[in-house]
Amino acid sequence: MAAGKDQIGSALDELFAKRGAEPAEPPIILPAEPYLDTAGEALRRRIFLTRGESGENLCLRPDFTVPVCMRHIAEGADLPRRYSYRGLVFRQRADGPAEFFQAGIEDLGEENRATSDARAVADALASLDACGVDLGTIDVILGDQGLFEAVLRALGLPEGWQRRLIRTFGHDGQLRAALGRLANGPEDALAGIDPQLVDLARDREEGTLTRLIRTRMEEAGLPPHSGRSPGEIAARLIEKVQVAEARLSEGALHILEEFLAVDCRLDEAGERLAEVMGTAGLDLGRAMTTFETRNLAMRAANVDLSRLSYRAAFGRPIDYYTGLVFEARMRGSEDPLAGGGRYDRLMTILGAEAPIPAVGFSLWLDRIGEVVNG
Amino acid sequence: MTITLAIPSKGRLMEKSVAALKDAGIAVTAGESRSYRTSVEGFDGLEVLLLSASEIARELRAGAIDFGITGEDLIRESVADPDMAVSFVKRLGFGHADVVVAVPEAWVDVVSMDDLGDVAGSFRARHGRRLRIATKYWRLTQSFFSRIHGIQSYRIVESLGATEGAPAAGSADIIVDITTTGSTLKANQLKVLGDGVILKSEACLLRSAARQREAGDRALAEDLGRRFAG
Repeated sequence: MAAGKDQIGSALDELFAKRGAEPAEPPIILPAEPYLDTAGEALRRRIFLTRGESGENLCLRPDFTVPVCMRHIAEGADLPRRYSYRGLVFRQRADGPAEFFQAGIEDLGEENRATSDARAVADALASLDACGVDLGTIDVILGDQGLFEAVLRALGLPEGWQRRLIRTFGHDGQLRAALGRLANGPEDALAGIDPQLVDLARDREEGTLTRLIRTRMEEAGLPPHSGRSPGEIAARLIEKVQVAEARLSEGALHILEEFLAVDCRLDEAGERLAEVMGTAGLDLGRAMTTFETRNLAMRAANVDLSRLSYRAAFGRPIDYYTGLVFEARMRGSEDPLAGGGRYDRLMTILGAEAPIPAVGFSLWLDRIGEVVNG
Repeated sequence: MTITLAIPSKGRLMEKSVAALKDAGIAVTAGESRSYRTSVEGFDGLEVLLLSASEIARELRAGAIDFGITGEDLIRESVADPDMAVSFVKRLGFGHADVVVAVPEAWVDVVSMDDLGDVAGSFRARHGRRLRIATKYWRLTQSFFSRIHGIQSYRIVESLGATEGAPAAGSADIIVDITTTGSTLKANQLKVLGDGVILKSEACLLRSAARQREAGDRALAEDLGRRFAG
């Protein structure tokens, strides 16, 4: 096993160098705040946390993406740039060891998203191949949050509903529940709200609402300059009343469900989507162009699209993912050997001054080792 | 051959625990003022200790005591998998309190967890930080927000007392806290969300599953359990 791992390691180092990625070597002990801040509190129970002498939260490196991106921001290096990594990560898991090896590439600052998306998929597959995985024995599943968002826009849903549905993307159960609430008759979402305020919201009396809310905040002694402002609360109340009184027509729900059910070979996905949306007379615009351009770029990078599948409902429920997501698994297994996606929001969350396009993938080397060595 | 039962060491929880034991035919008399020991009549081989309610939860988890009376909220907060670590012998009908999600009354647009999910989801874009929740119940909060309601974007601010004052003090936006009558929340102009009750807690008699017992003690423990089963 150890010998196998060394072989895998050196094969990957060689491949990463050939693909123009420079090794990033982040420390094992890292500040925990950026993780809690980007991935949310749910991560807290899965990472190894400790406190530094001056009270700061520290953790054992739970992934490479965050420290690689943070290092880049701190150094202010030129863009575009590709970083590679290989080493141990630490997570508390119910099954499986708490420390395991990952490797991968983060691709920062490439403005041509189709090219860099395609490169991430192609490099992930090339990495598996270099490790000795028979690509004929794996499933590669691809999803695209951009298309889902475009469908919601094309259906003309109120923005509040669009945001609520987008948040559930990749979480099948929660998406179903949200759709159910959207389709069912008038919900009592307005119960418990002062009827006078509901009337004002219906009439879009934002100024009056703001004044009333400001008075309440002052009475409660809420600090005026931190947290939600009266204007923000008034605007959301107006939107909420609008959303509560909107219904998803049966036709629209049907289209949305048909879209979410799309699960086909990637080389047939364009046609399939055109069928579903075209029948309804809807145009997905730029999102569809992005999807098609990415497919062309993957072909150009020698990825055989007929071996990949596209699943419209496939997403990774972390709120910094923005577009492409993908996973490679052994056929019939749920555990990824490789996974990745586009995370255009992460760099600014971590402190970059301007948005930086970013896409990457990581490999689960222990699982790959098991597959390769039997 | 002895088994141990810990009950809260002060206040109404202690009085009511003593009364509950009395109903089961066990008379407990507290010793000298600062002692943690008591004298027990009505059950041979039972030792009753006085501990703080949160300590009782910890000792049950560790298997350092056989039985304990404490709040369900403390057990569910301090033990990762409470149904494995302890068994609930009996809910005792006192010490009622709800663990709830409460937001400022001025948040007139927020009445449900769905609303809160919307607010949390766009909080960073508007304010450059996550929505902050003050609580001493971080485990209960996490599982309610993340697992049940799929809300990921928030930060917990650990609060060690006077949680209800956190929004006015500006140290948090909302709170998760325990309430019995709701009057403290009201005085601080906070409201409980319609579906924001995380747990309806009361005092429970619990048995440690982690405790290693010899055969004789096991029989004693069974006996004690039966006293309350009826």
